[in-house]
Amino acid sequence: MVVLERIETFFEIAAGMVTDPVSLAILFGSVLLGIIFGAMPGLTSTLGVALLTALTYSMDTPMAMICLLAIYVGGTYGGSYASILINIPGTAAAAATAMDGYPLAKKGEGGRAIGLTTTASAIGTTVSMLFVVSISPLISNFALEFTSFEFFLLAFFGILISGTLTAPDLVIKGWIAGFLGLFLACIGRDQLQFFPRFTFGITELESGIEVVPVLIGAFGIPQIIDVLRSRTTMPRAEKLQRIIPEIGTVLKNIPAIVRSALIGVGIGAVPGIGEDIAGWVSYGTAKNTSKHPETFGTGELKGVIASETANNACVGGAMIPLLNLGIPGSPPAAMLLGALMLHGVTPGPMITFEHPTFILEVAAILLLASMAMWITGMILAKQVVKVLNIPTPLFMPIIGVLCIIGSYSLGLNIFNLYLMLPVGVICYFLTNMGYPIAPLVIGVILGPMADENLRRALMVSQGSFMPVFQRPVSLLLFIIIVLTILSQLGWYKRLIDRFKAKIFNKSPSRQGK
Amino acid sequence: MIYTDMIEIEKLRKADIFSGTAIFCLGVFAVYQAFQMPMKDSYAGVQNVWYVSPALFPLLIGSTLALLGLILIRTALKEVGVQGVKAVFGYLSSTAFADFLKQPVTIRFYGIVLNLFIFVFLLIPNIDFFLAAILFLLLFFFMFYCGFDERLVGLISKIIGGTFILALYLISDLADKVDTFAYFSADILVIAYIFLLIWHYYQLVKESELIPKFKLSLLIGFLAPFTIGIIFKYFLLVPMPHEGLVVSLLDAIWYAEIWS
Repeated sequence: MVVLERIETFFEIAAGMVTDPVSLAILFGSVLLGIIFGAMPGLTSTLGVALLTALTYSMDTPMAMICLLAIYVGGTYGGSYASILINIPGTAAAAATAMDGYPLAKKGEGGRAIGLTTTASAIGTTVSMLFVVSISPLISNFALEFTSFEFFLLAFFGILISGTLTAPDLVIKGWIAGFLGLFLACIGRDQLQFFPRFTFGITELESGIEVVPVLIGAFGIPQIIDVLRSRTTMPRAEKLQRIIPEIGTVLKNIPAIVRSALIGVGIGAVPGIGEDIAGWVSYGTAKNTSKHPETFGTGELKGVIASETANNACVGGAMIPLLNLGIPGSPPAAMLLGALMLHGVTPGPMITFEHPTFILEVAAILLLASMAMWITGMILAKQVVKVLNIPTPLFMPIIGVLCIIGSYSLGLNIFNLYLMLPVGVICYFLTNMGYPIAPLVIGVILGPMADENLRRALMVSQGSFMPVFQRPVSLLLFIIIVLTILSQLGWYKRLIDRFKAKIFNKSPSRQGK
Repeated sequence: MIYTDMIEIEKLRKADIFSGTAIFCLGVFAVYQAFQMPMKDSYAGVQNVWYVSPALFPLLIGSTLALLGLILIRTALKEVGVQGVKAVFGYLSSTAFADFLKQPVTIRFYGIVLNLFIFVFLLIPNIDFFLAAILFLLLFFFMFYCGFDERLVGLISKIIGGTFILALYLISDLADKVDTFAYFSADILVIAYIFLLIWHYYQLVKESELIPKFKLSLLIGFLAPFTIGIIFKYFLLVPMPHEGLVVSLLDAIWYAEIWS
């Protein structure tokens, strides 16, 4: 009965959006903007969501969510255009698509490849939407049992796992980035006693650092510096033929699509891990399970399907921890969290009580955004690819102006800019030295939650850490955290190797006996 | 994307020694600051216990950062050794480093960061947003779209010169004194600077194939700030960071009785 009611509410919400011309116009407009952002190398869906956060500040929450989720979905898909036509991924999420997409375009099948990515991306988003609707209530109910210790450990785990999986160099650098984010979150008056921490008498710092301008700085400024500094000239785009939806090819590959979507949702649900990793893991899995792995990299359609389905499925996957636990599943989801906070919505287990239909609204937007993306992709792809001809030195400075006025407009505070720019420049150096930015951002967001819950938990237990070992979920999280840390230590790796070697050596000797 | 030109592993390890040291120092600083916070003593009339102290979390974060910094230094030293550190110091005092500072890619970096900092710290708080944005965009376009690396140093020195004059004008009492009889004097100064810059750049490119790019730069350089600014100011009702000459003119047009 409850399920039927939820389905009914879901369709009511979706119908309400479809029949409202303003919502529809915003949906299609944002999807198109997202596709353009994704298609332009140097611009990412994270940056798109960041810039639109400022523009949607004055909108009501449902309208703002349509705008932000649509640009997220469109941006994730749009990256495939540049991957296929110029062999430069529009976004990191579409990097794996270039492996087979570009060879297809070289063969004169660029239209076919884009048609396929459009359909695969739409399916990926829709599948992930199904997971948002079905899994969210379960996680939400489960999370209601969480106490402060669990929330502290969850935040800690989020930062640690994000640091482990996103570090392009040493894992320890990912952890450092996460802790730097936590340090930034300490700035300002603490939530329990209002004691000023690391404010140095600067009154603007008393209320803590504004999350969204820091996120805009962390994601936008390094991108602007990098693109302008490297002065890359765009290669000429391959010719694009008629866009074909490729429904037949998709139907033939349903098992592969389902597998890729599941990989995307699963990776998206891990805190801080973005669409790029989902795309690569899915591509790798498709190659490893193929009967003809040698065809991958030469224009294999299955390769394009795998990466594009997974990266778009990641969008919904990232929504699951964001909505139910308040932990962003990917960098754009971190931006979304910032935007939601600005609109007075605090994601977490209480969301189903405070905003009973919010998760269904998000699911409905994801479904409609995937449809809008498919329609826009089919009709306007030929026009949108023309943006690939716009030189980056012309649009990057404009993005800079948008980053700056956007950061200022959230709170009408020039101090936000004084914070955003140095953070951006520091993040540029950190990125070039192999430190990932996603854990830092997650640290800034989860810092207050970790701090408050740690002290609240200790207050309840009168300073005892024993509840960590007495409660199953916190014990499980604690064990995972310890194993994650241990797995990076040399002596532990050697111990495990020795253990494995012992087992494997014993087996043949037993057989011999 | 950024990772593609990420410095190679050996250089990375050498850099890790320095970044690790910086992280360690930050961690120690955080711990030191945390010890200045109330731990067990009373604050605002409340008797504290260690587990609700505002110092608890900074202590945890600071000590972990210091530890991670040390581990990073150890990892890096294991790979490059003390010789690696010596080599870095040797490089920093060598002509190779001086050459690196003069490389086009490094000069481009100076130009980008300089323009961003001037825009945020000098222009945005003191100059009309529209004029500030036009100057910011034109400088970037002249540097990276219709310019080449050979002209970059000259352009950067002109930016520094212009900024110095403007900063001096704003910091001294001169701006306030002039404003008593001529409104928006700083804005007018920036307009003069913009036109001087355009004229100067036109002289440089007028007989080259860069003229179409120069024209496009001018078009976008003027059009984009007005599009962005008008959307924020009149549609999203965001007051500009500094409202000067152009905003006053636009206000006069936007709110003119003629429309009502």
